[in-house]
Amino acid sequence: MSLAFLIGPLAIGGIAAVLAGIISVVDSIVNNYGECKIDINSGQKSLTVTGGSSLLQLLAQERIFVPSACGGRGSCGVCKVRVLSDVGPILPTELPYLEEEERENGTRLSCQIKVKDDMDIEIPEELFNIKEIRGVVEEINDMTHDIKEVRVKLIDPPQLEFKAGQYAQLESKPYGKIKEPAQRAYSMSSPPHDRDHLEFYVRLVPGGIVTTWTFEELQEGEKIRLIAPIGDFHMRDTDALKVMIAGGSGMAPIKSIVLDMWEKGDTDKPVWFFFGARTRKDLFYTEKLKEIESKWENFHFIEALSEPTPEDKWDGEVGLITDVLDRYFKGEMNTNGKPMEGYLCGSPGMIDACIAVMTKNGIPEDKIYYDKFA
Amino acid sequence: MKMSPTLQKAQENMQPGEITGDGFLGDDTRPLVDIIEADEERFQALGLSFEEVAEQLTRLLDRGREGLGEPITVDGRWLVKVDEARGFLPCPFEDGIFRKITATVTNRNNQTTVLVSQLSLHLLGHHHFLEGRGSSFRMEPEAARDVLAR
Repeated sequence: MSLAFLIGPLAIGGIAAVLAGIISVVDSIVNNYGECKIDINSGQKSLTVTGGSSLLQLLAQERIFVPSACGGRGSCGVCKVRVLSDVGPILPTELPYLEEEERENGTRLSCQIKVKDDMDIEIPEELFNIKEIRGVVEEINDMTHDIKEVRVKLIDPPQLEFKAGQYAQLESKPYGKIKEPAQRAYSMSSPPHDRDHLEFYVRLVPGGIVTTWTFEELQEGEKIRLIAPIGDFHMRDTDALKVMIAGGSGMAPIKSIVLDMWEKGDTDKPVWFFFGARTRKDLFYTEKLKEIESKWENFHFIEALSEPTPEDKWDGEVGLITDVLDRYFKGEMNTNGKPMEGYLCGSPGMIDACIAVMTKNGIPEDKIYYDKFA
Repeated sequence: MKMSPTLQKAQENMQPGEITGDGFLGDDTRPLVDIIEADEERFQALGLSFEEVAEQLTRLLDRGREGLGEPITVDGRWLVKVDEARGFLPCPFEDGIFRKITATVTNRNNQTTVLVSQLSLHLLGHHHFLEGRGSSFRMEPEAARDVLAR
């Protein structure tokens, strides 16, 4: 049988292989930037890396984790660093994520900058504390119809130090049509003294990549990757009266802060924690907080439902959390000129509304701290 | 119709897992340019303006945020419930980022309900893109007309 018909395809295949080889060789020559030095924070740390990859990737290889929610694809705008060297003009892919002030002060998206030469950068100090963590999911519990509690036992490192109020980037695995891992931020709901575990409240977001994975794919016993601890939302060590407000999964950092205070015996200052929900089925962890309230004289836990149903048989506070807060400012909290601080976690809309009530009732805006979910 | 590089890239960004879990095209197999063109023709036939529809729905979404996550009635006519989640979503056309704010808007007179987000309203107003058939945020032109009807 004549095999002449194979000559054409074989020739084309051979030419393609040769061309691919040439491209590979040229690429390795053209894109070989050699060793590059990255100076961080004016000599605080100096790295020697092989150029050619993004700044985000190279820093991660050196165990410096700049938070990123999109895995370096330039679609989240989170991985900002200040670049003091000339690395070329701001790219069109960076522009939507940079404010005017940031453009002027050299802030860039680290995932979009390719390291080709020595460079000087500035990063927040706290990034040096961020670690890559391997853990195993110990428990997944339903808290409400759309919030799950995920408890992770740490494997490597076996313990983590963090401030109550900080968050972690939880990484999902490929599933269904999703071909790449994704990372999203979740506040730690566990207190810092539980050093070999981390806990999170994950609220299902319709169409959300990581929340859908958590609800539909993640199993107890599964090993996962996290980046932590991140963020500067934490309690300030002052004697001011603390007013804390949370809604839904925003409970997480506030719970961590309250448990941390209780465990440390930091119980002299007045703490008022307002937790808002729509109906009784949207409340969770309230029994434990009421138990703490019964033992901690200066801790007050107020749950409020905005639309309790008759079946709820609710005799607690009713109304939007901002209305309830306003009533308490004018009544039971008895603030009487005391210095106050606000701690908020929830949606931007809730935060903005609570800030308005707090400032109206005497908390200066620079004493209101928040994790704005954004 | 041949697609420009911008549309081609946007279509790639609309695939499941790129920006959202389900993507923006649903089970629609038409090229992005055809989806947009077909909806532009229908909007024109209905006498609707993409920009005006986006503006009115954005106003309702913004008013709905006053409910802090609970449904509220706006202007005595629309029931709006807004949900907010942490983080941002980039536009698949790579011209902006948007908070994860979604709203269900119901016209109480005719019970038409639409699901919108800050991003979907930007896609509607700026790019004339109503999402592919089968996408949860797909808005049929007739639904846009009916939900805003007075």
